[in-house]
Amino acid sequence: MNNTAASPMSTATSSSGRSTGKSVSFAAELQSMMFSLGDSRRPLHETAVLVEDVVHTQLINLLQQAAEVSQLRGARVISAEDLLFLIRKDKKKLRRLLKYMFFRDYKSKIVKGIDEDDLLEDKLSGSNNANKRQKIAQDFLNSIDQTGELLAMFEDDEIDEVKQERMERAERQTRIMDSAQYAEFCESRQLSFSKKASKFRDWLDCSSLEIKPNVVAMEILAYLAYETVAQLVDLALLVRQDMVTKAGDPFSHAISATFIQYHSSAESTAACGGEAHSDAIQPCHIREAVRRYSHKIGPLSPFTSAYRRNGMAFLAC
Amino acid sequence: MDQNNNLPPYAQGLAFPQGAMTPGIPILSLMMPYGTGLTPQPIQSTKSLSILEEQQRQQQQQQQQQQAAVAAVQQSTSQQAAQGASGQTPQLFHSQTLTTAPLLGTTPLYPSPMTPITPATPASESSGIVPQLQNIVSTVNLGCKLDLKTTALHAGNAEYNPKRFAAVIMRIRESRTTALIFSSGKMVCTGAKSEEQSRLAARKYARIVQKLGVPAQFLDFKIQNMVGSSDVKFPIRLEGFALTHQQFSSYEPELFPGLIYRMIKPRIVLLIFVSGKVILTGAKVRAEIYEAFENIYPILKGFRKTT
Repeated sequence: MNNTAASPMSTATSSSGRSTGKSVSFAAELQSMMFSLGDSRRPLHETAVLVEDVVHTQLINLLQQAAEVSQLRGARVISAEDLLFLIRKDKKKLRRLLKYMFFRDYKSKIVKGIDEDDLLEDKLSGSNNANKRQKIAQDFLNSIDQTGELLAMFEDDEIDEVKQERMERAERQTRIMDSAQYAEFCESRQLSFSKKASKFRDWLDCSSLEIKPNVVAMEILAYLAYETVAQLVDLALLVRQDMVTKAGDPFSHAISATFIQYHSSAESTAACGGEAHSDAIQPCHIREAVRRYSHKIGPLSPFTSAYRRNGMAFLAC
Repeated sequence: MDQNNNLPPYAQGLAFPQGAMTPGIPILSLMMPYGTGLTPQPIQSTKSLSILEEQQRQQQQQQQQQQAAVAAVQQSTSQQAAQGASGQTPQLFHSQTLTTAPLLGTTPLYPSPMTPITPATPASESSGIVPQLQNIVSTVNLGCKLDLKTTALHAGNAEYNPKRFAAVIMRIRESRTTALIFSSGKMVCTGAKSEEQSRLAARKYARIVQKLGVPAQFLDFKIQNMVGSSDVKFPIRLEGFALTHQQFSSYEPELFPGLIYRMIKPRIVLLIFVSGKVILTGAKVRAEIYEAFENIYPILKGFRKTT
């Protein structure tokens, strides 16, 4: 796989993890997660294992880069600021991360108001936790912002296209489900890495790092892991669509992806008779998706060596 | 009147905003002297406007449309009248100008049903389900400073841990309420299931404090928050709901299994779950909870998950 070739260090860590018989495996959870993100009802186990590998590699890389940034700052723990710093280049992903952090604050504020035990707990703990993540993000972006575009993101209310597409896909998926399937779907949607925080921590295996992430940073890492899985599923679905060739359609490669989705799903359910096996995402789709993502197409790309990349392409940031 | 005529045209427009009620208007009034009669609608967020404000805003716009069509002399008189008239009687002014100058077009006095303030509800009978109140948070001022240590010592069912929190926590078992009493004399009462219960419980706490020899009063009793819950008894397809009501909903099932819906009118937050359970919070009066539920019920019916 190309992504491991670009970063030999991470290959060593991930393969050593595998050779010691990694007891912590998220493959089962990943299968549910992929179902909730748009894959078929029973995602393949091989695909889940591959996705787990990719996500793990990327997270380890991300952690190492974050640790370097932390060291530059002279801090003792990896905190949210370091991760925000790494994501600063990609505006859309940064905005999505900020929205996630704000939503987390907002949700704890509301749930606190409902449950009176929580209300007392909050008052007892000093009640300056409200909007804690928002404050962290705001202060940090304030300090690194040179052109004002990062701070503009706080007021920015544009529609997130990727999220919109995911919502539409979920809506289409759930429309045809019956109650039992929908209940299962909802449960799968509620799965996340942050729910299994301790297992996530073990899986990440930060023992080799000198600087460890703090609580908020772990939340963000769990979110980034989920985003990576979501991104992989998005891309793999696109790749799978591209692979389906239409007979006698010279412009099939030029039609937009969403347009094809409507037609191919109708055809496949009619023709295949709801065969789940052929609908699942195959490992080859994932590999192709990762390959295309890391292949940078720029004006000088025919002249640059693919191995001279200075870091791997993160799907989450 | 003569003064106004001596002002240059752009200043005439600037003089108008003194009678305006909403800050967005001054931008429009600059356009008036050029009299195209097609006053652009301000792109104001209507989210925070109540229906009354919406009416007043529309009347303001109507006034400006009329003024743009009328001759310059009439324009200055109407400006004067607007400045003279208080903000409370726009309706009188509106009827006057109706007789003097024909309207460009009729504008509705009431907001159209498609404004994004309230979710569009089809005409249907009421749901027949009444939300239950689960928790009421209220505050009251006892009107005198308290010594928390002696209060905690002499009262039963009280705990006080100054290192953890600077208030006495008192509980009454019969009403299952909890009170936080601060040294300033302010008290927060939570856990009651109705307004009367909350008031009664707060009075009981005040009497307990009184019995300890403190001249406690019962000032400014106010209900700060009411939480209600109900069950529509059918499963709801939240994905569809979140997609069509994006403006108001946030649905992140990885974080929280319920959809968070922020209703603007009344200003209530609803937590909607797949099972059909709905929790309403943020109300100051009981009617707001009922109104919010009646507003959301028809929409939920539209997203009922049928087998």
